[in-house]
Amino acid sequence: MSNEKTMAVAVAEQLARLRDDYLARLPAELTGLEALASGLSGSEIDRASLDELYQRLHKLAGSGGTFGLAALSVGARSLEQRVRGWLAEPLDAVDVQARQTFAQDVAALGKTLSEANAMASATLPDKGASAPGQCIQVWLVEDDALLGQALGRQLESFNYVVRLFTRIGDAEAAAQTERPDMLLMDVMFEQEGENSTEVFTLHPNLRALSCPLLFITAQDDFQSRVRASQLGAEGYFLKPLEVPRLVNRMVQVLEKLRAPSQRVLIVDDDADLAEHYRLALLAAGMEAEILQQPAAIMEKIATFRPELVLMDMHMPDFSGPDLAGVIRQHDNWSSLPIVYLSAETDLDRQIEAMNRGADDFLTKPISDAQLVAAVRIRIERARYLDEQINRDSLTGLLKHASIKESAGIEVIRARRSGKPVTLAMLDIDHFKVVNDTYGHAVGDVVISSIAMLLRQRVRQSDIVGRYGGEEFVLVLPECGAKDAHLLLDDIRQRFAAVRFSYAQKDFTCTLSAGLACSAQHPDSNGAALLVAADEALYVAKRGGRNQVRGGQLDLKGAQP
Amino acid sequence: MSTLQRILYVEDEPDIQAVAKLALEMVGGFTVKICSSGEEALREAVAFAPDMILLDVMMPGMDGPSTLMALRELPALAELPVAFMTAKVQPAEVTYYKSLGARDVIPKPFDPMTLASQVRAIWEA
Repeated sequence: MSNEKTMAVAVAEQLARLRDDYLARLPAELTGLEALASGLSGSEIDRASLDELYQRLHKLAGSGGTFGLAALSVGARSLEQRVRGWLAEPLDAVDVQARQTFAQDVAALGKTLSEANAMASATLPDKGASAPGQCIQVWLVEDDALLGQALGRQLESFNYVVRLFTRIGDAEAAAQTERPDMLLMDVMFEQEGENSTEVFTLHPNLRALSCPLLFITAQDDFQSRVRASQLGAEGYFLKPLEVPRLVNRMVQVLEKLRAPSQRVLIVDDDADLAEHYRLALLAAGMEAEILQQPAAIMEKIATFRPELVLMDMHMPDFSGPDLAGVIRQHDNWSSLPIVYLSAETDLDRQIEAMNRGADDFLTKPISDAQLVAAVRIRIERARYLDEQINRDSLTGLLKHASIKESAGIEVIRARRSGKPVTLAMLDIDHFKVVNDTYGHAVGDVVISSIAMLLRQRVRQSDIVGRYGGEEFVLVLPECGAKDAHLLLDDIRQRFAAVRFSYAQKDFTCTLSAGLACSAQHPDSNGAALLVAADEALYVAKRGGRNQVRGGQLDLKGAQP
Repeated sequence: MSTLQRILYVEDEPDIQAVAKLALEMVGGFTVKICSSGEEALREAVAFAPDMILLDVMMPGMDGPSTLMALRELPALAELPVAFMTAKVQPAEVTYYKSLGARDVIPKPFDPMTLASQVRAIWEA
């Protein structure tokens, strides 16, 4: 789960609790208002009651709105205005008819609640990108229907589900009940004479979507760009659109939402303090675990795979620098950030500690917010560096060495956990022909689109790498051969359905894949299992391409 | 001005207080103090030393604008960024509130998931 998602869920739970409390108190409040309203007599004696009604209706309008009871809020607001009008004048002018209508309207406020309850389930936040394996819903708001349809088709070939709106108002209406994963908006709406960066904030439902927002536009003007930036837009693309660039940004944005939560290992002999840090980091959406046995530090690191170690400086049996030294003896973890958390203010001793493998020093006492910020920034930086070093620049997938390493780690983990891991090797069929016919730029589009497809179809725990030019590796932990086969065959079919275009000419590509499951090769290490997957891929190629091979043992003839 | 961390929120309605506290503390990571009236805010504000104050406009007793005036009399708070929170955001009213010295106006009801970023944007403006 991403940080945003964890946070959104935690906040949603708290909000739901507050809302339940509020709903429980509401009937009594409404009864009280009704009693006040029906007790009005049409004279100056009413002034105290009306003052009270005014205050309480005002509160109700505010609180109702806060908890998403829009109808209640609007109703209370209008009644509040009516009372305000009366209070401004002599009260004997309020006739019996007006008082009766008012009392009825107050009584009717309760009726809005049943509708509101039905709405509640639809309005609770469900933030973050959709689960992997689900399609990404994109709303395209574009007044040029032809352009919209053409762009929609192209995005669909990248596995997005596109819904086209030609008017902002239509999207606003739909946003009341539905929520896309991403909003793509034209800037200029000629027909309505509107600039969407100007009017966006006037559409409360669109604003409340809080999904990533990208703008597309025919004209580049600074004012609109600034407004787009103020709206938190994630991109601003000029027409004619370069679809692969647009899609690339869309992928980046969604990846960011999907980024796994940050993992922190806490090493502190003060159990209470360690638990406090853990809770503070958890509340910020991170995963945090406490090392219980210093001697087991490397096992803990291997299983939990922290992205940062928060280390106490002075502990009874081993010092922080001792343990940091142990971590640094292992090549795999030589770049794991280690941060000391200590009351140590002696600069010389800090420097000495840093010399022995630590990266940074945080001084106790530290506020939760400072701790979270310090940890978050360091992990973000480490992730960024890791991206630069280990990721393929075209596809954003792991590079050859990293995916090989991941395969090795997962095979060891599978052996320990007793659950199978399956490796898949994929290769685009006749890719050389694509390159030769359409050029390398088009070839790159094909490569990026398969990378995007892979990332969209696999689970968060799965690992995807670009193994070579047009060759990819998937590492699927806790996945048997049969499930892996189903997944890969689905990917194969989807890829075959993607239409690429070059100079007004459409073409498609296919892929072949080979699988190897640790359950069938219990003695193989990662490298050997990769070889087995590669052999299965070779069988798929020789068998006529556009097929998935390997993992037949537990398939029992399910394979064509 | 360093970073935005401490927020004083003046609001008489307990339910909105609870949601705002959640939105600002959990989502925004701010340190939040709630005052239930303008009078309470005047007593507590200097000691809390906020980086920014959010003021409900309509409260019984001292309303938002008069609370702002009184806060401005306190030397420590004379320059502090203040934003009003109100349901009625007609452009004329926004202009009026700004003329009183508020930085901006946050419409109510607010979205708990985005309130913190709205507040941050106003503070950075």
